[in-house]
Amino acid sequence: MPCVLIVEDDKELREMIKIALIRRKFTVLEAENGREAILHFKPSITDVVVTDIIMPEEDGLNVIIKLKEFKPDLKIIAISGGGKAGPGSYLKLAKALGANAIFSKPFSVNDLIAKIEEFTGSEQPADL
Amino acid sequence: MKKKLIVSDENDYLKFLKAEKEISDKIINHSRSMISVINRNYIYEKVNSTFCNTHRVTYDSMVGKSLGEVWGYETFNSIIKKNIDLCFTGRTVRYEASFDLPQLGKRYFEVVFRPVSEDNNEINYILAETFDIDDLIRSRLIAIENEEALRRLETNLPIGFLRCDTEGRIMHANKTFLRLMDCNDEFSVTSMNIKQFYPGDSLFEIQLNYLLEKNSKTFGRVLLINCKGREVPCRISGFMAADDSGATSFIDFIIEDLSYEMMLENRLIQAQKLETIGALAGGIAHDFNNILATISGYSEMLQDDLPKNSLLSDKVRKIQGAVNKAQSLTNQILTFSRQVEQEKIPVSVAEVVKDTIGFLKSALPHNITVKSRITRKNANVFADPTQLFRVFLNLMTNAIQAMEENGGTLSVNMTVTDRKLVMHELNKDIVADEYVLLTFKDTGKGMDPSLLGRIFEPFFTTREVGKGTGLGLSVIYGIISELEGEILVSSQKGKGSVFYVYLPVSSQYADFSGNLSDRKKIVLIKGNEYESRIFSMALENSGFSLSFVSEQMQLIKVMSDVKEKPDLIIYMSDSKQITPEDFITIFRQLKIKTPSILITEPGHEFLEEKLLNSGIINQHLIQPVSLKEIRNAIQISLRTEKNDKT
Repeated sequence: MPCVLIVEDDKELREMIKIALIRRKFTVLEAENGREAILHFKPSITDVVVTDIIMPEEDGLNVIIKLKEFKPDLKIIAISGGGKAGPGSYLKLAKALGANAIFSKPFSVNDLIAKIEEFTGSEQPADL
Repeated sequence: MKKKLIVSDENDYLKFLKAEKEISDKIINHSRSMISVINRNYIYEKVNSTFCNTHRVTYDSMVGKSLGEVWGYETFNSIIKKNIDLCFTGRTVRYEASFDLPQLGKRYFEVVFRPVSEDNNEINYILAETFDIDDLIRSRLIAIENEEALRRLETNLPIGFLRCDTEGRIMHANKTFLRLMDCNDEFSVTSMNIKQFYPGDSLFEIQLNYLLEKNSKTFGRVLLINCKGREVPCRISGFMAADDSGATSFIDFIIEDLSYEMMLENRLIQAQKLETIGALAGGIAHDFNNILATISGYSEMLQDDLPKNSLLSDKVRKIQGAVNKAQSLTNQILTFSRQVEQEKIPVSVAEVVKDTIGFLKSALPHNITVKSRITRKNANVFADPTQLFRVFLNLMTNAIQAMEENGGTLSVNMTVTDRKLVMHELNKDIVADEYVLLTFKDTGKGMDPSLLGRIFEPFFTTREVGKGTGLGLSVIYGIISELEGEILVSSQKGKGSVFYVYLPVSSQYADFSGNLSDRKKIVLIKGNEYESRIFSMALENSGFSLSFVSEQMQLIKVMSDVKEKPDLIIYMSDSKQITPEDFITIFRQLKIKTPSILITEPGHEFLEEKLLNSGIINQHLIQPVSLKEIRNAIQISLRTEKNDKT
């Protein structure tokens, strides 16, 4: 099954996305900040990365840049709850840096999964 | 001397007389004054050499000439003659006059006529002495001129000037002071005491004591009370003036108006405060969105697990409804703190203003009139029309609420001002050559000046507790700031308030309608006519092809058309002709698979529950909906449709 890496510093939110993905039979990897994600990134098995933008240690923008360097065809989805520096600028920046999709929090988890399935081509029509 | 003289012979006497005459001639000739002897016929009998030198003539040519000939008949008749006549009555005459001299031009002289009588006491001659006082007069004139210039300066300088005695009794005040203190005339002020302008006696006493010790001092800011009882922030400087004996004779005060500086300073402080609150609230909203995402995600999963239309599923939907509400709140906070990106397109401000007024007029209380004056119809700004609509709607609703009790008039004006005016008014960097200026003026309750500075803070409200969230004006502030515009307010308790909105005019007329062949066809089921128009403006300008439906038959007709099949349906649930039940029935009967978006008013979700449960609706948006939100919803709905097909 396709493998999704979730990079999110909010533990509950990370857990929720993980459960939702496991329900749809995805393999899930977790990182609680950008530094950890970059350090333990496994390009050979990771298909999609879902990353928050504002995180301690290393932010999501760096995750996008570094991981795209490691694996250019990696699909990255950026999620953010409103940029602190300006009007939605982080998500816009994420897109400019190469994020394949962006979601602003709170998002519909079903929409998020639909997007991941679109990227991995692993749609499960039974549940829709 | 004559008595002492002993004359031995006549020769000696003549010799003596000759010597005597030579001495007196020398004295007379060397005098710096012109000296002459004039007879009753106004003819010069004798002149001294200063006289000849001044006129550049010889003694012989001057003696025998009449005064009229020498000084000109006009001068003679108007000035000289009457003074000579007066002198012949036996009086010494003095006067000052200017004379035109052949070589020297016009000069000032002091003239003294003295009567000369001989033994028979009859006055036969007068002795005339003419002193050149030109330098003296000229320096005196310069002094007067200087003084006048100083007085003009004192009168016209935009600084209040006040002189009073050591008790504070006003001796003199300049025009600016009168204007500053809103006093009618100088007379009324000179009967006053400077203490009367102070907020309390003690402050003046303290300042006076300071001056008595130190002679001069600037006291910084003092809130003076003007003649009309209003506070005027002023900077006051005073200095003591002493007379010759060293005792203090009066105090001069300089009073500068600080209202403008204070206004700018306050505005800056307000803006900084709002920015700080914004950063704080924005940070909280950001964390809050994380929590909401978790709640929303789990409830979505729960919803998927539960059988549709079950009681439990109903409860989960209520959780989702609450999440939506919370999200709308955090969105508003983020809008205030300028952390929500607005989807911007060129928008005609006049159109939005007209639609907002139209929207309001349908439910206007009978005692309130709305007047509008739009002087430039074609001004575009770069904005989200739905957001502008919210801004105008909110400002107008507030105005109407302020007038609810006693009725009144709301005047909405729209005009375009140039950068100079805006720069002066806003005192900040400007981003466009022209600005739209909108004024919303009501005749309502007005606000306390002390509250004015706080009305744009989030959660600040003048309404009763529990009415409204208090986010309204702060969100408006955020939206306008994001458009690089400005909102100002002025208000008078009991008289009403005026809101001024400045928006930079966009010169961008780029076509945002996108590739025509690619345009998605959207059917909009209209709710309120005016609000629907704003939506259509927003969607058409951002590249969608729109058709409207307001009746059931129309909807059926549009949906049965095989050739022109729409890509998406947007249903505004406040549609009067098509109820949620109608909508569901039509969809089911025609077996329509077109994705649809539902837009509802907040707090009315229960009305649409059936619709949400029916599975027809792909996306549900709660007002206020921004262009960005609706575009995102459209994007997701259209993509879901594509996925469904594959």
